[in-house]
Parts: sequence; C-alpha cells; structure tokens
Amino acid sequence: MSTNAIIMMIILLGSIWGGFSYFLQRAYKREKESKDRKK
Amino acid sequence: MEKQEHFTSRWALLLATVGMAIGAGNIWRFPRLAGQYGGAFLIPWAIFLILWSIPLIIIEFSIGRKTRKGVIGSFSEIMGSKYSWMGGFVAFCTMAIMFYYSVVCGWALRYFLVSITGKIDVTNHAQYWNSFISGYQPLVFHLIALSIGGIIIFQGVTKGIERANRILLPSLVVLLLIGIIRALTLPHASIGLNYFFSIKLEYLLSYRVWLEGLSQSAWSTGAGWGLILTYAVYMKEKEDIVLNSFITAFGNNSASLLAGLAIIPAIFSLAPSLVAAENALKAGNDGLSFIVIPQLFSKLPAAHFFSAVFFLALFFAAISSLISMLELATRIMMDFGLPRRKALPIVTIATAILGAPSALYLKFFKNQDWVWGLGLIISGSLFAILVIRFGVNKFRKEFVNIVPGDIKIGKWFNHTVKFLIPAEAILLLVWWLYRSIEWNPQGWYNPFQADSLGTCIVQWMVALGLLFFLNGIIQRRLLKRNN
Repeated sequence: MSTNAIIMMIILLGSIWGGFSYFLQRAYKREKESKDRKK
Repeated sequence: MEKQEHFTSRWALLLATVGMAIGAGNIWRFPRLAGQYGGAFLIPWAIFLILWSIPLIIIEFSIGRKTRKGVIGSFSEIMGSKYSWMGGFVAFCTMAIMFYYSVVCGWALRYFLVSITGKIDVTNHAQYWNSFISGYQPLVFHLIALSIGGIIIFQGVTKGIERANRILLPSLVVLLLIGIIRALTLPHASIGLNYFFSIKLEYLLSYRVWLEGLSQSAWSTGAGWGLILTYAVYMKEKEDIVLNSFITAFGNNSASLLAGLAIIPAIFSLAPSLVAAENALKAGNDGLSFIVIPQLFSKLPAAHFFSAVFFLALFFAAISSLISMLELATRIMMDFGLPRRKALPIVTIATAILGAPSALYLKFFKNQDWVWGLGLIISGSLFAILVIRFGVNKFRKEFVNIVPGDIKIGKWFNHTVKFLIPAEAILLLVWWLYRSIEWNPQGWYNPFQADSLGTCIVQWMVALGLLFFLNGIIQRRLLKRNN
C-alpha cells in the first residue's frame, strides 16, 4: 500500500469509527448517569 | 384510540435508526464508488455527512419527538394545514421507493437461498441473473420479503421493530466482519485497499466526484426521507436528539466502511486483471452484486458460504430499511385514525401490487429508482423549507436544544439549513438532470424513457398535482382525528 493510502486510511477510519465510538461512549455515560439518578 | 407505543430504551431506538440508515446502498453503491474514486470520494462523502445528513437527521428527530405524528401530520402541524402536500410529497417519495425496495430484498433473499443450497450456476452468472430477472421468481420473492416486513411491523414497535433490529443489526456486523477477514487474507488484497484509500488529485479536483460524495451522503443515511421522523414519534420524551443524530449518521458511515473493506479488496484480489476489477466496479449496483460478486466469489474455496454471507448481509441491510418504510406508511394511516391492524394490511397489499411491475420489469425498476431516488433530494429540501419558514433560530431553540445534557447545536446549524442545504439540493438536482440529458441527448424529454429528465418531471408533477388536489381531504381527515 502507498503511504498516501495508509495515511488516508488512518485518518478516515479514525474519524468515522473513532467518532462513532466517541458518541456511543457518550450515550452510554448519559444512560448510566440517568440510571444512577433514578436509584 | 391505540395507546402510543415507545421504544423501551435509547439502544432500541438507535438500533432501529441505524438499521434504517444502513441499507442496500451501503453494500452495493458505496463500495462501487469508493473503489472507483478512492480517497478523493471519501473526503466529500465524510464532509457532506456533516453538511447534509446530520442537520436533516437532527431536524427529523426533533419534529417527530415534538409532534408525535407521521410525516404528513407533522408538516401540517408545523407549517399549517395548507402545506400538508409537502409532507405528502416526502411520504410519496419514500413509499414509491418502498414499492421497489421490497423487490431488492427479494433478490437478495433468493440469491442467499441459492447460495446456501449450492444451486447458483457457476458457469455463467450474467445469464443466470438475466434468466432470473426475466421470470416470475422476483415477484414471488418480492411478496415473501414484503410478508416478512409486514409480519414484523404488525407486531408493533417494541415486539416487532425493536426485536427485529436487535437481531438484524448485530448479525449484519458479524457477516461484514466475516467478509472483511476473508477479503483481507486474500492474496493481493492490499491492491484493493490502495484503490479504496489513495487520493488521486485529478479526482479530488473533479466536481463530479464531489457531487457523487454528496449524492451518496444524501441517499445512504436516510436523511430527509421521513423515516427518522417516524421512528422519533416513538422515542421517549427526555431522549437526546443531537447525540442520537450523530450516532445514527456515524453508525451508517461506519457500516459503509465495513462493507467497503469486505468488498473492494476481494474484487481486486479475485479479478483476473486490474482493468477487469475497475470494470467490475462500473457494472452498476445490480450488476456488481448479482453478476460480478458471485462470479468472483466462485473462485474462492467455500464459494457458496461466502456468497451466502454476502447476500444475507445485503438482505439484512435491505429488510431493516424496508421495515422502516412500511412503518412510515402505517404511521401516516394511523394518524388518519386507522388502527395498526387495519392500516398495515392496506400498506402491505398496496406495496405488493405497486411493487409488482418493478419485480417483473427491470426497466420499470430502474425508472422508479431514478425518479424517486432523485425525488429524495426534493424531500430533503422540503424539510429545510419547513425549518426556514418556522424560523431556523426558533426551531433550534424550541425543537433541538431542549434536552439538558445533550450536545448543544450552535449557529452553524442556522447557516447550514438556511443556505447550504438548499444550495446542495439545487446543485444535485441540476447536475443529475443535466447528466440525464448527456446520457440521452436524443430522448431526454421523453417521459417514456427509463432514465430521462422528462420521466422525472412528469412523475413528480403527477404526484404533486395529486397531492394538491387531495390537500383538502388530508386536512379534514387530520382535523377529524385531532378533534
């Protein structure tokens, strides 16, 4: 694979998959907080 | 009156919205374009996720949660009953797509079955596809796929949509992961990865590649189709809007990348030459999925297994979107006062009948795909018009930024909705319609040609005329229901 492709792969997978994981984690925290508050 | 159902949790809602967003386009369109244009396509595709899809998804989530009505009822409530036809057009577009989308589900199901039973003809896949598509079997499988979707929707939100997506979405991810492991362990898989991710300056500077990226973003996430609005009707009162929108949009694009990693390296590894691989990616959505991929996969050990994995993934992706379309139509009828048990059979029978021509004639299928796929761009802009008329800032304050702890949306949203989305919609419409003249310089005005400009204009006008005519009746039905 060319360096150009490797860099692009890291940026793209990092931003899309990383973004998805970040938002999921944020939602998980929100759910946990709301459950704790209910307790 | 039926009791309003709700998704039991945020995760159930998200499985449904992400399942809706991930459809056939992620499996058969995205890899085709990403393999052809590489990183130069991925850049606009990612940018327009923020500049088209996410604002529209936020709008849909906000409206559905606030009004608790389907598309037509929502437009009528926010814009005034004179404008019910606008919601009607959004619903009409999505339902017209639903009629032939069920056919795609049927194709995938049929190919999955012949793959697992080993009955797929390995000598001439083009001939096999042509003989299948010209027979009566697509109609039978269209009805089977539609029945599966109908049974799911009949169970309601929690027992039907929620339960189905709990199975469909995780299974789809597992199937794609199996595909990725197989594709990346093939010899010369890195050639495909190189095509997938490398940026060619000529493509990056091409307006065509940017418009393809915007088109993919507009079609793939389901933004502006009214489907997210429909699911948002069943979300809980204190549910986040913006965070859920970002998860839906990024989840859809994550799945597209998974599909790309499973398909593009496999094509470049199994094709006899680079030119053959490049041509395979230009074969069109159905050509790539039903002719090229089975042909290439037949060279693998355990060919039937990997073919079955691919078609099951395509079926799961498509059916999870089909059920959201069936729910959109059912929800609208429920807004008119029909209970689910009465609304659904009407929707299912109408889809069975109106989808039949697409199942029997590929040319008709392609015509509908062209007309209503492009119609979705108009649908997206109608959502922007709704917000502009209501007041973008007011909408942001009263509809979006209302849940404590949710991501707060800034003024970028105002500018995007006011200027960018309408500009993007105009650009896309002009470009695609101009392309239709290029494809067909002699008969572009002919409404009886499958992919002409004339057929789009005539069918959109017929739909709009019908909706204007029915606007009064729609108003009265909605008023009667509200009273």
